[in-house]
Amino acid sequence: MFTRVVWLVLRKDLTVEVRSLEIAYTTLFFAVSCVLVFAFALVREGRAPEDGAAGILWIAIAFAGTLALGRAFERERQSETLRALLLAPAARPAIYVGKLLGIVALLLACEVVLVPLVALLFQAPLFAQPVWLAVVLLAGTIGFAAVGTLFAAMLVRARSRDVLLPVLLYPITVPVIIAGVRATSTLLQPEVDMAGIRFWLALLGCFDVVFVTLALWTFEPLMTD
Amino acid sequence: MPKWFVPVAIVCGLMFAAAPLLIANAPYESTMGLVQKIFYVHLPSALIFLISAIVCGIASVRFLFGGNPRHDRLAWAAAELVVLFGIVTLVTGPLWARKAWGVWWQWDVRLTASLMGWMVGVAYLLLRKYGGPGSDKLAAGLALFGMANVPFIYISVNYWRTIHPTTNVLPTLPVSMGLPVWFTFATFFLLFLLLLKMRVRLEEQRARLDALYLSADA
Amino acid sequence: MIMKRLLVAIVTAGSLLGVTVSTQQPPPQQQEEFVPIDQLPPQDQLPAAPLLIAAYSFVVLALFAYVLSVARRLSVVQRELDRLQADTRRGRT
Repeated sequence: MFTRVVWLVLRKDLTVEVRSLEIAYTTLFFAVSCVLVFAFALVREGRAPEDGAAGILWIAIAFAGTLALGRAFERERQSETLRALLLAPAARPAIYVGKLLGIVALLLACEVVLVPLVALLFQAPLFAQPVWLAVVLLAGTIGFAAVGTLFAAMLVRARSRDVLLPVLLYPITVPVIIAGVRATSTLLQPEVDMAGIRFWLALLGCFDVVFVTLALWTFEPLMTD
Repeated sequence: MPKWFVPVAIVCGLMFAAAPLLIANAPYESTMGLVQKIFYVHLPSALIFLISAIVCGIASVRFLFGGNPRHDRLAWAAAELVVLFGIVTLVTGPLWARKAWGVWWQWDVRLTASLMGWMVGVAYLLLRKYGGPGSDKLAAGLALFGMANVPFIYISVNYWRTIHPTTNVLPTLPVSMGLPVWFTFATFFLLFLLLLKMRVRLEEQRARLDALYLSADA
Repeated sequence: MIMKRLLVAIVTAGSLLGVTVSTQQPPPQQQEEFVPIDQLPPQDQLPAAPLLIAAYSFVVLALFAYVLSVARRLSVVQRELDRLQADTRRGRT
């Protein structure tokens, strides 16, 4: 039953999104502009700062993610579908997981474009360890989206929700971003430090578990009003 | 105000008057000299910062799952004290670090996590002020995530390579230094209780005011 | 009118240029090699007293400011509450 609800919510989100691709295109374009702004700001005499790629990649993901979260729930608010979802005889945690997976899918799609772009503009060997990079990106995206989905959902009926989402989200997700950046920059080194990668991935995994657990626990009381 | 408030306030005031004497009589530390005396305010305020965050978190959980407005008032008061004692810690620390480490700030785990914890406190206050109706529950959710940060801040310094002194410093303090610091901590703790009570009273009065307005309109 | 504006512009530019040129110092003596020492001489070490005083004064000021803030907010609400209670007692809404 739980997985069925998750799948239904996810399918609904994907269907709505695929029909117009509004959030996908705009978020993607925003992320690309973000990376370009960093490129213009930091590139000097045609050369990018050596260690910049990892940080810039994750900043672009964080900013684009915040935007996507705001837009996704704004869409729910305007069509009042969130109330319909909450009225449905479905377990609230299942609704949360469904929405989380939708956001993660959207962010992963953005990362598919962002990673080659950052690799190109900052001459970073991001594709040296593609499997590890994919795991790091997945773990970090889940951690970020777990907190983001919860906060975006609970802010839907609040005033000043647009500016409050980043204000609430960034202090909590800074550890995830830091771990993601450190893991990615370890992957960019010429000789990869396996112990280091395992450490940062373990930390990311810890954050994922803690954040998803806390979110599942508090989604119900936070959405009841 | 409850009966214990004025006596505790008087005791706290006397302790505040006595604390500088104890601090001045404490011996100098061998490598850091005079500037190490900042320790006697930096440590207590850091501990109260963490304690406030825990109080806010626990009160938020009880409010989220119980709905009693008393817990919400306590959580809001504790969040303001998180910001207050956080700012004291984050200012006295760098002032000490400038002489002891040569730099104002280091991006190591404890400092970064403390700064993030402080920012969660500020975010809580912004949410309460500008979030509109329903922001009490949302802020409670935020406080819960913030509280998860606290044990991380405390133990991080023991596991990550950092220039900040480890927690081993506390149990191994000689009595001549231990007495002033724990005395100052007790002073700060009493002050924390007093401030908490004052702030909670403010919210209680606000709630009474709202209730009066509502009954007048009815 | 135009002449006056032009004169103001020339005087401003000239004085800025003059200030920049006159405050240039001669380039420092180039260093040939680094010489290490163990301890900084006392006159180069950071004085600790200003840092200590700044820290303690900040603590006192911050705590004091907060107490004042809460007291002020409390008195505002208390006044409002008293006024409202007096009004309802008088029978007005």
